[in-house]
Amino acid sequence: MARKFAYYPGCVAEFSSKELNSTTKALAPMLDIDLLPMPAATCCGAGDVAEAKPNLYLTLNVRILSQAEEMGCDIMTICNVCTLNLRRANKLVKEDPRLLESVNEELVKAGARPYEGTKEVTHLLWYIATEEGLSMLERQGPKGLNGLRVAPYYGCQLLRPSSVMGFEDPDQPQSMERLIVALGGEVADYEAKSKCCGFPILLARENTALKESHAALSQARDAGADCMVTPCPLCHLAMDAYQRKAEAANGEVYNMPVLHLPQLLGLALGLDHKVMDFKRHMVSMDPVLSVVGGEPALAGRA
Amino acid sequence: MPQTTFDVFRYQPDTSDEAYRQKYELEHGTDLTLLDAILRLQNEQDGTLAVRYSCRSAICGSCACRADGKTVLACMTQVEDLKDQNGGQPVRVDPIGNFKPIKDLVVDMEPFWNKFKSVKPYLIPDGDAPERERIVSKEAMQKIYNESKCVLCAACYSECNSLAADPEFVGPAAFAWGFRFAGDERDGQRSQRAKLYSGEHGIWDCTRCMYCNERCPKGVDPRDAIEKLGGIAFQEGIALRDAGGRHAKAFLISLRTGGKLNETLLVPLTQPIKSQFDIPFALKMISKGKAPSPIPHKVKKLDEVKRIIKNVKETI
Repeated sequence: MARKFAYYPGCVAEFSSKELNSTTKALAPMLDIDLLPMPAATCCGAGDVAEAKPNLYLTLNVRILSQAEEMGCDIMTICNVCTLNLRRANKLVKEDPRLLESVNEELVKAGARPYEGTKEVTHLLWYIATEEGLSMLERQGPKGLNGLRVAPYYGCQLLRPSSVMGFEDPDQPQSMERLIVALGGEVADYEAKSKCCGFPILLARENTALKESHAALSQARDAGADCMVTPCPLCHLAMDAYQRKAEAANGEVYNMPVLHLPQLLGLALGLDHKVMDFKRHMVSMDPVLSVVGGEPALAGRA
Repeated sequence: MPQTTFDVFRYQPDTSDEAYRQKYELEHGTDLTLLDAILRLQNEQDGTLAVRYSCRSAICGSCACRADGKTVLACMTQVEDLKDQNGGQPVRVDPIGNFKPIKDLVVDMEPFWNKFKSVKPYLIPDGDAPERERIVSKEAMQKIYNESKCVLCAACYSECNSLAADPEFVGPAAFAWGFRFAGDERDGQRSQRAKLYSGEHGIWDCTRCMYCNERCPKGVDPRDAIEKLGGIAFQEGIALRDAGGRHAKAFLISLRTGGKLNETLLVPLTQPIKSQFDIPFALKMISKGKAPSPIPHKVKKLDEVKRIIKNVKETI
């Protein structure tokens, strides 16, 4: 029977990066998971609310955890930042019963359900990059990535701080590498795969942020990658939507197609390209599709 | 008896401008810290090998370096643990990152100390000195306990991604000390500190890579301190002077009006002037559907959210 999760796609996947949400939903039955909607869940605050009003951040995130508890499920996310914010709140209140009590007082006062501290938050990558997940992929009989050379890009907040995240060694992550190989791709390895994409300060400090994305984009290019894959829609925006800006700012050409993690799975498992909506990417996916097969995306070079 | 190969970064500006790497072999007992290993190499094999250290007890913060790419205090890192982690490969030893090497593992710390001094890392109470010492409650000290543990080893600067992209960034340890005093109830400069720390290359330049929290050998969590300084900037009413503060404000407005982030408002709220000149990029984003409707998407039970926003008090 499919495992049920309270599905928390996060704001970016619901709006500006809809292709991530549609791909994940279409993929769910193939991964034997049932993604239940959370219609009353708010934004996690993305670190910004924590920076402006820490108690508000905590209360809103515990409210989301409580909704999952009411549904009787753990939460599944598809965004690094949502994962960190929800897990951090969960850890804070689970480790400090007095804190949980005071947060619950606020929730009850506002008419919301209190949290008992019984749920966990996981990311799609963590679910799939286990032995169980990989063998499930094998059962799907993947069409495979046909030797596509993929540069895994983890970003920061799915790895660090490891005291909150803890799925794998933040300095030598291997989950996406295992996945790429299992799906018939090749890994393009490079040092900056777990450095910052710059997205949190992209609007406020564009110059600094574009230097950060340069490190990963240039190294992935130099490692001979056909494309990059990321488990985070914010990293995707920094690497794909802002790639031409990074090229202009750094005087370089990367031409690096960037896949959302579920799109990589979708390509390997033969998911309908329409659902994956590659035309919403800024950098053309045609070089990827010429290796993996299927009809070229409508998108041209931006 | 275990034997370890150390692959050490060498830079001897008296003899060459070029850095190079040198391998050393060492036989040793099972409990040997990386610092003791380096000192044995210095004493027994190569007197020119330069390293900075003092207490050898993880208190002074002098011996931070990178072992297999990861910043550590050499005196609190066991060589056998490093070999367990790297599968028995030679242990790579490098100076901390984001600083200029002076000689071998010794770096020029002057920029670090200048940044540290720039945050006024000392108590500045209001009014005349009292006749007796000021008594501080346990609860009040608890608020700044983490930050008080900083030993200024600069491990947090070594892999700070903001600093790598912007060498002027004031940085994690300095801001941890900033919060240690801004959050101290005896200090009288909370508002002035919030202004001082919010300038260019200040708290809003932190890219949240979380390396500082990951690397700190003392559990200071400097990123959390920066976050709390942001909260103080909001409390003191100066956050909106900076694009970073306005970015955070856009999230607060989004939550109040719909519950979800209103991405299309994020750009003009963060950069009201600059965004007017970035029309070509905006049009590209729109053409790819990356500028969703600015009409707030309302979550169910939004009234709960509004009541939470209204009721919850901040306690930084």
